[in-house]
Amino acid sequence: MGEFKVHRVRFFGLVPAGVRCLACHPRGARLALARTDGAVEVYNFAANYFQEKVIPGHEGRSVESLCWAGGDRLFGAGLGGDITEYDLSGLSVARGLDGGGGPIWSMVANGTGTQLAIGCEDGSVKIFQVIPGGIQFERNLDRRKGRVLCLSWHPSGTHIVAGSIDFFRVINVTSGQTVQRIMVNHHVEKTKRECVVWAIALLSSGTVVSADSFGRVQFWDWEQGTLAESHTVSTSAALSLAVSEKEDSIVVGTSTGATYQLQLLPVRLGGLEKRWVRTKPFQFHSHDVRAVAHSPTALISGGLDAQLVIRPLMERMQKKSYDAVLRKFTFPHRRLVSCARKARLLLFQFSQYLELWRLGSTEETGKDGEVLPLCRMPEHLLQLKSKGPEHIYCSCVSPCGTWVGYSTASRFQLYRVRCDGDGVSLRKV
Amino acid sequence: MVSPGALRVVRCGGSALCGARAVYLLCASGDFVKVYSVSTEETLRLMGGHADLVTGIQLNPHNHMQLYSSSLDGTIKLWDFMDGIPIKTFTVGSKLLALYTLPSAEDSVFVVIPKKGERDTFQLVSVKLTKGAGQDLEGRELSVVLDGVGASVKHIAFGREGAYVVSVKDVNLKVYFFKRKLLNRFSLSTVKTKGGDNRFSCVVCHPTEDCIATGHADGKIRLWRNFHHRKEYTYSTLHWHHDIVMDLAFSVEGTRLLSGGVESVLVQWHNESSCQKDFLPRLGSPIEYISMSSDGALCCTLHTDNRITIINSNLRFSRSIQGLIKSRDVKTGLVVDPRTKALVLNGEPGHLQFYSLQSDQQLFSLDIVQRQYIHQADLKQSDLVKVAFSAQGTWLATVEESEEVTDPELQLKLWFYNEEAQSFELNTRINTPHDNHITDMCFRDMDELGDDSLILVTTGRDCVFKVWVMVGDTDPEAQQSVSWSCDFVGSYHNYQATNCCFSEDGSLLAVSFEETVTVWDSLTWDLKCTFCHPPGNIRKICFGRLTCSKYLIGATDYGFLCCWNLLTCALEWSAHLNVVVLQPDPLSEHIAAVSWLSKESSLFVFKPNEPRPIYIQRNLCKEKILLAAFVPRDEPEMISSEKCLWLRKSQLFFLTDTQELMTLSTKSLEERLTPSSKQLAVEESLPVTPFSLLLGKHRRQQAQEDIDLGKPVVHHKQEQASPAVKELLHTPAHVLPSASFLCTIFINSLLISKENKSAEEVADEVEMESEKAEDGSDEEDVPAMEQEDTSHMELLGEMTCKLSKSQEKELRKIRKMDYSWISAF
Repeated sequence: MGEFKVHRVRFFGLVPAGVRCLACHPRGARLALARTDGAVEVYNFAANYFQEKVIPGHEGRSVESLCWAGGDRLFGAGLGGDITEYDLSGLSVARGLDGGGGPIWSMVANGTGTQLAIGCEDGSVKIFQVIPGGIQFERNLDRRKGRVLCLSWHPSGTHIVAGSIDFFRVINVTSGQTVQRIMVNHHVEKTKRECVVWAIALLSSGTVVSADSFGRVQFWDWEQGTLAESHTVSTSAALSLAVSEKEDSIVVGTSTGATYQLQLLPVRLGGLEKRWVRTKPFQFHSHDVRAVAHSPTALISGGLDAQLVIRPLMERMQKKSYDAVLRKFTFPHRRLVSCARKARLLLFQFSQYLELWRLGSTEETGKDGEVLPLCRMPEHLLQLKSKGPEHIYCSCVSPCGTWVGYSTASRFQLYRVRCDGDGVSLRKV
Repeated sequence: MVSPGALRVVRCGGSALCGARAVYLLCASGDFVKVYSVSTEETLRLMGGHADLVTGIQLNPHNHMQLYSSSLDGTIKLWDFMDGIPIKTFTVGSKLLALYTLPSAEDSVFVVIPKKGERDTFQLVSVKLTKGAGQDLEGRELSVVLDGVGASVKHIAFGREGAYVVSVKDVNLKVYFFKRKLLNRFSLSTVKTKGGDNRFSCVVCHPTEDCIATGHADGKIRLWRNFHHRKEYTYSTLHWHHDIVMDLAFSVEGTRLLSGGVESVLVQWHNESSCQKDFLPRLGSPIEYISMSSDGALCCTLHTDNRITIINSNLRFSRSIQGLIKSRDVKTGLVVDPRTKALVLNGEPGHLQFYSLQSDQQLFSLDIVQRQYIHQADLKQSDLVKVAFSAQGTWLATVEESEEVTDPELQLKLWFYNEEAQSFELNTRINTPHDNHITDMCFRDMDELGDDSLILVTTGRDCVFKVWVMVGDTDPEAQQSVSWSCDFVGSYHNYQATNCCFSEDGSLLAVSFEETVTVWDSLTWDLKCTFCHPPGNIRKICFGRLTCSKYLIGATDYGFLCCWNLLTCALEWSAHLNVVVLQPDPLSEHIAAVSWLSKESSLFVFKPNEPRPIYIQRNLCKEKILLAAFVPRDEPEMISSEKCLWLRKSQLFFLTDTQELMTLSTKSLEERLTPSSKQLAVEESLPVTPFSLLLGKHRRQQAQEDIDLGKPVVHHKQEQASPAVKELLHTPAHVLPSASFLCTIFINSLLISKENKSAEEVADEVEMESEKAEDGSDEEDVPAMEQEDTSHMELLGEMTCKLSKSQEKELRKIRKMDYSWISAF
């Protein structure tokens, strides 16, 4: 074995962006994830949850919602008011279309993936048709006051529920009329606080499941407008909700970082009467769990602490295998650090700028595991800011340390670094 | 004829359960089953008949007036608890550790028995209860349901409608479905991560749904569902308790779950949700069992300190039934309060409990330490170690010390009995009365001399004894007129002082210093003489009383009991006996000594003036007796036997190391039980209904009218008749003769006759009739009982005969030895 000197690089101050939303591919092969900085990542379940694609973010484009539609096409919508389609082969934005209703808070595709519904700031729900080579505005549904924070299609595509502040409504898609408007904080007496419906789901049986800022998961009958069950899962807000395909399990994310599973279980063994029961709590996150997804075999959650956690359900697994382990994605899967070996330089890539550091050095030698005193401290040589709103895709430094290059979605830049004594000069090539 | 019998076996094994209409509370207590009235908390009935600890009680699911009880003696008994009559006895054979009944199982019950041939392995078996005519039946048709179950009652539960049975042990949960004959096993991980401990502590089943609730050692409660699937089972967790969950109970509808543990807090969970819960805190001591009444109106919790708390359905404290508090360590000894004749000993931590032996309940609890008790392992707490009463019970001295060994924090407190407030009030507090542990303390017992002769002596391990006297307080602002201060400090050769004792007239004080007994004049505090009986330290000393007041008795570590004559200052006699307890009777010259030899305790009662014991009871019990006390009787008992005359004026009580209180009784078991079982107390226990109020009002009105009309005769007659009617109404329906027979008597008793005399006759007749009826019903029971009784008596008679013969031989030997000793002197 050779002799190594290990540098403790504690000056890479990367702040990873939190997970904003998750979208599971209807056939369960892929998972799309959007971060708060607008970056979109695609994971492949089949290939061992490999991070397949990364589309870096853009200053002027936040992503609030993602969905798969029209086969393998990925759409995103955000507070910028645009619906964007991503080019998954070119790792860039393929095309965008203005939603026309102000910031978009939510977007969902119907069961067949032919229509998209968006919920806007102004309280409108708009339907877009997915056509080859783009999307096309189809119609406006009944508009009420109050931003639409969450949406859910009935599996048959006939109805949409739209969650808003203090209430949610059920809208008939064909007529465009509001069928039912239900106040969610009706049962809480004399609270001045508003109750935000953060997430909603419409089950095929006609049950509406809502998760609100009072930490409740409530089950409503959409025709009668009555509350069937109420589960207070947390003392803080319940932020996200996902239903399994069989509709027998729900995963809820809360603002304390805990996720809960609710299961539809028979009241009596072998009986027909079933009830939702809160079963397993999981505490994997340290901050808000903004997004959850329910794959056939696993519960997936992503939080503001930038972690993506995949918790397999043991009872759905056929055998104990590599798939049946808990996975946590805590650090970026891309190369953000490049090293100039000869010049002892490190280049760190941030979303909007680069940093170049010189490593510290020592003259002493010591035994294994010993901490050597530094004769020269690590030195911050330069910070290079990228121009424009686009985020940096990738960056590199040459082994000799004189060339630094980076690229964004549209441009490639190369710089020559010259170190003379203490001064550092930079020249754009 | 003397038979040793546990008067009050303190252990409250088994579960307490509420009976029909939440009127009765049934509780397995030692060898008995007790029936309490929920509304008055009185003991209505004490059902004895088991020969060993009662381990389980269950209401008969087919008749809620009947009760099954199981015991370690291997029998299951069926009781009519309204009348306290044993109906049937089924002999199973092996030890029964728990009992369960099911409404669906027609004629069988489930018991936990030890597995044959294997130690510490238990199995759940169903016992077929044969329908025979006689009272004593065999129940030997056993079929094993589950193997390797836990021994506790709490480790097994039966599911909804008896469809399945759940058993927990360590980290394993077993569910057995009766119909499908399917056994599912689930296990939790044994690894203790993050302070977790997955071992099961208790299990209950939801009454209407298929849901199992389990309590765990780390305070978690798990609710299991879908457990008919081996893979797709699931559970949710409720976590509030910080330590082991001792017991769980579902409400009758199953919407609420109650849990309790060492926190002394009853937690109520609504709808199995962790966010909705209510608490009933400050229940006093750790909760051991929780039981719901069958109508769901009440629940009761059984605590480790031998107390039952009855709680309303809206989680409000209703009332409590307190037995003798089981303290961790009775350091104070057994002391008798001269005022109330109650037994005084350590109760709750830092409290002194006054326990009435006659009524078997706590009179009151006096907070001595007056500090908040925090439940925590390894936390050093102050506790009460010594208690002494003055002769009249006006003064109480207490010593408390912290548990630290090296530097104990000592406090001596003197309490004065306030007649107006009817309680003890703190008079003087003395910090650090001795530099080391206080070993003994006594008042000078003098009835005739006034208050100023009252002297308190304390002995300490700091090699001195101190004399404390009352002094008038000169400070005008002081609230009390007197306080206590130290008067004299005595020591002897720098030996540790271990015991102290005043002679009956109070003129002499004996203090033992390790191997030596010193006798001091209590007026001048001069050392009068010393006695010594090497080898071995003096363990106990006491003076003789009445005619034997010239003797001083001492017991030493190496097994000698010595009697010194104070007039001659010489050893009168000594005996080789490993005395653990030496207790003089305050009302006679008898002294009781309890020895501990080869794992059995023996009792010797003797008079100091003769070395031959007047009463010997070998093999009193298997446990080590730690303390004893003579409690004066209210009235001298008539005792025919010559040997037991010493029990005439006072009764002897023992406390063993397992915290059981025992006594010697001159009566046989059946004799003691009869008065209570004849009582019929239906009226007291019935709740006040609107109907009864109406009826009572009507009766009162009638009475009023009678008086107004000036008909004292009629009124008198009605009073006469009422017991007859009462008798008629209170006799159980199944023992009454036919209605046609009773009709005339009943109507006669209600008729207002013109002659007072004839009415009285009728009343008498009615009483006789009803008595006859009762006798008729009891006829079945009586012969069997009598048989049992005689055999019991015979057996005991033989034993005492044998014992006394062997005893005499031994005594002769001892006497020979004694003489040699004296001659050597």
